[in-house]
Amino acid sequence: MLKVKNLTKRYGTKVALDNLSLEIKKGSVFGLLGVNGAGKTTLLSILNGLIDFDEGEVEVDGISLKKERKKVKSFSSIIPQHLAFYENLTVKENLDFFASVQKATQQDYEKAVEVNSLDALLDQKASTLSGGQKRRLNIAIGLLNNPKIIYFDEPTVGIDPKSRNEILDSIKEYKQLGITVVYTSHYMSEIERICDEVAIVNEGRVLEQDRLENLLSNRVSDRVIVECVYSEKLQTLGLTLLDSSSIVTTQEQLFEVLELLQKSGIALKHIRYGSTNLEKYFLEITGESSV
Amino acid sequence: MFSAMVKKELLLVLRDKHALMALFVMPALFIVIMSVAMRDQFSTKNIEFSLFVKDLDRSAMSQKVVDSLKKDTTFMLASTKEDADFLLEIPKNYAQESNATLHLLIQSSLQENEIKAFEAIVAEYIYKAKFLAITDTIEPFAPDVAKQFSSFEFDTQKLYKLEYNHTQLLPNSTQQSVPAWIVFGMFFIIIPMSTIYVNERKQNTLARLNSMNVSLFAMTLSKSIPYFFINQVQVWIMIAVGIFIVPLFDTPALEINGSVFAVLEVAVGLSLSAIGVSTLIAVSANSSEQATTIGGISNILLGAIGGVMVPKFIMPESMQNLAELSPMSWGLDGFLDIFLSAADSMSVFEDFAKLATFGVVSLGLSMVILHLRITKGL
Repeated sequence: MLKVKNLTKRYGTKVALDNLSLEIKKGSVFGLLGVNGAGKTTLLSILNGLIDFDEGEVEVDGISLKKERKKVKSFSSIIPQHLAFYENLTVKENLDFFASVQKATQQDYEKAVEVNSLDALLDQKASTLSGGQKRRLNIAIGLLNNPKIIYFDEPTVGIDPKSRNEILDSIKEYKQLGITVVYTSHYMSEIERICDEVAIVNEGRVLEQDRLENLLSNRVSDRVIVECVYSEKLQTLGLTLLDSSSIVTTQEQLFEVLELLQKSGIALKHIRYGSTNLEKYFLEITGESSV
Repeated sequence: MFSAMVKKELLLVLRDKHALMALFVMPALFIVIMSVAMRDQFSTKNIEFSLFVKDLDRSAMSQKVVDSLKKDTTFMLASTKEDADFLLEIPKNYAQESNATLHLLIQSSLQENEIKAFEAIVAEYIYKAKFLAITDTIEPFAPDVAKQFSSFEFDTQKLYKLEYNHTQLLPNSTQQSVPAWIVFGMFFIIIPMSTIYVNERKQNTLARLNSMNVSLFAMTLSKSIPYFFINQVQVWIMIAVGIFIVPLFDTPALEINGSVFAVLEVAVGLSLSAIGVSTLIAVSANSSEQATTIGGISNILLGAIGGVMVPKFIMPESMQNLAELSPMSWGLDGFLDIFLSAADSMSVFEDFAKLATFGVVSLGLSMVILHLRITKGL
């Protein structure tokens, strides 16, 4: 879906992207990891046709970004970290405006509303929405052009665990719809939870790119991650949580944890064995002391 | 797509109550307040002084002076000396003593030209009375000379044939205030425009629109159109205030006199100029606070230089030359030509051309800055 080859971008003498190359498969959820200033935002801005690049090649769905930027933009979408809509307009007015700008079809409009559960909020002024609802509106706007690829730039900053959970679940739905997702976040647990493949970017270069389980399984560990259906009860069980719906435990303690979950009526989604912690791995490979 | 962008901009500005106050209520209030407050300063009627006369001489001559002052419509006799602008005391034996001087007590608020005017009128009556007294004295000895003397004309109004030079017409307070505050109010679109622009840029909405293949030209134009219409509505509401509201306060009503098309022409030029400078400030500022501060200060300075706050015709020549640099002055000149000299579209074309060129150049420059800001992340 996306091929980036030897991409270089300079700001004066500063090299923001240095011969960066990566490849993203169609329909995958791809995590882009890196500390602040690693080049993630510059990369996303280039991929969205917002800024030019100095050298290299970018192909999105087989189309050269340099030659057909307008066409690439028409089937790409970015979900910015900031809430890029109008607080003084209602949810419907915002969606109508961005739908008109992108000449969205009624079907795409309805899908964006439905996937983000905005039906009941359409007549509400955007400024009165909760943090999570605002994030959902921000995402819905990005879905209006029925994109083939969506770039999420830290979409869960500053929201409560429940809303974060809903957003992460909805991203998994995009995958089912065949949309390719490129996801950047500071929260390693989110990347671990939703991404199929990960690239670690540092100082404008890709240090490593692989499937998530390959990256983590290569480091032998008795760590087990138990992913559950979200429940507020989970917070009260005294377990070590990776995020609001995932538990980190060891193979030795796994049976006890599963028993406790069963007693509490919490349903399981997924169990991942032998993986190391992505954060630990990230810090190891980038040589940083913290994310 | 374009109509949706215009609609969005219009919705945003119409929901901003503070902006609407600044755009409509503020200039309307200024028009009423300033027209009424400056009514007498701009009046072409006779200046009326309140006068209290204390005649200690009580001679025939002093009585003639007092009678003349009473008959003069320039004066309104005050009942107490405290209420009077001028207190004129004619001392004892004034008629007899050639070196005697009148005592004049003047309110400190009076201006130099008012005092000079008063002194001239009093001098006229004193000399006339003294002259007539001399005529009476010499009449028994030289009746022919006395007869010649008595026919001497003292009335200064009969000395000259007074005619106004209409090449420079002066406005009344309404004719000055309405266009001045229309122009000032139109440039206040900087407040909503900059707030929306800066928020859009800060929240990456402009970048998002750019990623949706919306061109900078479409963005700038779609933002300009609603403000253009708001400016046109402002002009006609303020003119209506001048015609219908100002006269309720015993102040002359505004008369357009010139062509309505000329008003439209100046309004269009002014709007382009106001949109241009507002966009330029909005795209250059880093925060809405910065934009509204810079915008507010620029407006006040352009207004002060351009003759909004102080009419240009009372400015010294150097300031009048400086005023030519302000687009507000070009617009104000255009409106004054229409209201005072009944100018038509052709007559105000030069003002329109200057305003439109300034607006288009500013908009072009704004687009360059906006492009750099979005693509270079400045």
